[in-house]
Amino acid sequence: MVAQMIEGWNLVIGIEIHAQVNSKSKLFSSSPTDFGSKPNSQVSLIDAAMPGMLPVINKFCIEQAVKSGIGLNAKINKKSIFDRKNYFYQDLPQGYQISQYKDPIVGEGFVEIETKNGQKKIGVERLHLEQDAGKSLHDQDPNFTFVDLNRSGIALMEIVSKPDMSSPEEAVEYVRKVRSILRYLGTCDGNMEQGSLRADVNVSVNRPGNQLGTRCEIKNLNSFKFIHAAIVYEAKRQIKLIEQGESVNQETRLFNTQSGETRSMRSKEDAHDYRYFPDPDLLPLTLDDNWIKGLQESIPELPDQIKERFINEYSLSSYDANIIVSDKATSEYFEDVVKNRNPKLVTTWVTGELFSILNKKNLIIENSPITSKQLGELVDNIENGKISNRQAKEVLEEMCESGKGALEIIDEKGLSQISDENEIESLVDNVLNSNPENVKKYKNGKDKLFGFFVGEAMKLSKGKANPKIVNDLIKKKLSQ
Amino acid sequence: MEFDKKSLLKLGKLARISISDDKLNNLSKDLNSILEFVDQLKEIKTDQVDPTSNSLNQKLEVRDDKVDTKNSAEDILENAPEKEMDFFIVPKVIE
Repeated sequence: MVAQMIEGWNLVIGIEIHAQVNSKSKLFSSSPTDFGSKPNSQVSLIDAAMPGMLPVINKFCIEQAVKSGIGLNAKINKKSIFDRKNYFYQDLPQGYQISQYKDPIVGEGFVEIETKNGQKKIGVERLHLEQDAGKSLHDQDPNFTFVDLNRSGIALMEIVSKPDMSSPEEAVEYVRKVRSILRYLGTCDGNMEQGSLRADVNVSVNRPGNQLGTRCEIKNLNSFKFIHAAIVYEAKRQIKLIEQGESVNQETRLFNTQSGETRSMRSKEDAHDYRYFPDPDLLPLTLDDNWIKGLQESIPELPDQIKERFINEYSLSSYDANIIVSDKATSEYFEDVVKNRNPKLVTTWVTGELFSILNKKNLIIENSPITSKQLGELVDNIENGKISNRQAKEVLEEMCESGKGALEIIDEKGLSQISDENEIESLVDNVLNSNPENVKKYKNGKDKLFGFFVGEAMKLSKGKANPKIVNDLIKKKLSQ
Repeated sequence: MEFDKKSLLKLGKLARISISDDKLNNLSKDLNSILEFVDQLKEIKTDQVDPTSNSLNQKLEVRDDKVDTKNSAEDILENAPEKEMDFFIVPKVIE
């Protein structure tokens, strides 16, 4: 549907990601940053902008910004400047946001994403540190807006991409990739539901060969689904306008998550004039070469490198490796299980059965009811032939419900697979002897009956016979 | 730099300060005289000086990532002109 809509049109997409720094205290004050606390319980005199209060920067936040910059293959600026971005709004007690304008802490970089046409490099324009604003509730009272300043002053990293994405899918992949890198680095928890990572998306459309169209910015998208839906809606809206001979206004729009539509947020005459200027309360931030070097050395293995290693070390397909490394917890889980085990089997069980259980239960892998050790034990019993794949699924479900280990369940249910050839041979003989008619038909060319014999033998063993041995033996006997 | 009435009204609007017509002339005159005074700084040659660098030769002070705020919601809301439950309340804002 999307491809159809875009036919004959180019999409140009750029994204600003706001990622909350994983710090205990705020960027310029020592208030806590916990999510979901009582309203206005995490507000210092600095956050409330009481007269005379001075901001003092959080060292940890500087570190996280630089680490993120390194993870985004970006230039680290040894000197950066904090500016005041002035605007009047009830969730901003200072009357200005402390941000970085001309001299951000991190300059140009890039991330690589997977697209249907292979790898694509998406440019990063910059990353800068800034304060988050408070939260307004508009629906509590017909006459008043309620303001909670708990979020006011929390450290954000704003990561600005180049307009390098050309489809909603690429845009989603880009945000996924940045989120994954930040999570591997531990600089942002990436929790989109709680607003720790949100995206503003700039979209414009143009006919191939024509100059770029006018862009609209859609603010505050906090799920991959919404990012995709907002871009599709917005591109369609702009194409329709142009096809009707109208023009697109450059404006900020809001995405309605209920209706899936975007609507204009600010009219043109109210266009903001931020009057940026260097914050006189803060000196320029200078970084030391050795300090940057130390951080570079502390950077953990990132998803692209782990993917490479999984492909080489465990012969994973690029597709499987991608799925596993996209999330740090998943790749750690996988590595725990795969040690000294068959990678193919482990991949199947992690990305197949385990994922499907997690999906069904709406759980993330960190809260998996099956630990990596438990899954390893299950895989061991498949590998040594004790249970079949089908039995293993049953065992996994039971493990999930009861929390018991694989072996315990196998013993309890008497599931262990029969792999003894003599025992299976007597089963097979039994089946063939009781169905002489069918044996005759089979020998006269009715090949389909093979499945019937296998089924009967399995039934006789209560499903416990090793299917491969059953197959081999029946084949052997019938060809005699 | 010249500060005309139009710019003054715009500045007032951005700061949500209403400026009545009878005050426009005087305010504009005052602001212009302030700007003229500050404009004297332009006479200093600054092409060899980094912008925003400071004369004290200090580095930006940093602090550790420690929580150290003891204000309760009640404390901070004591300064609120209007409050309800644990919120500041302001006239309805419609985007």
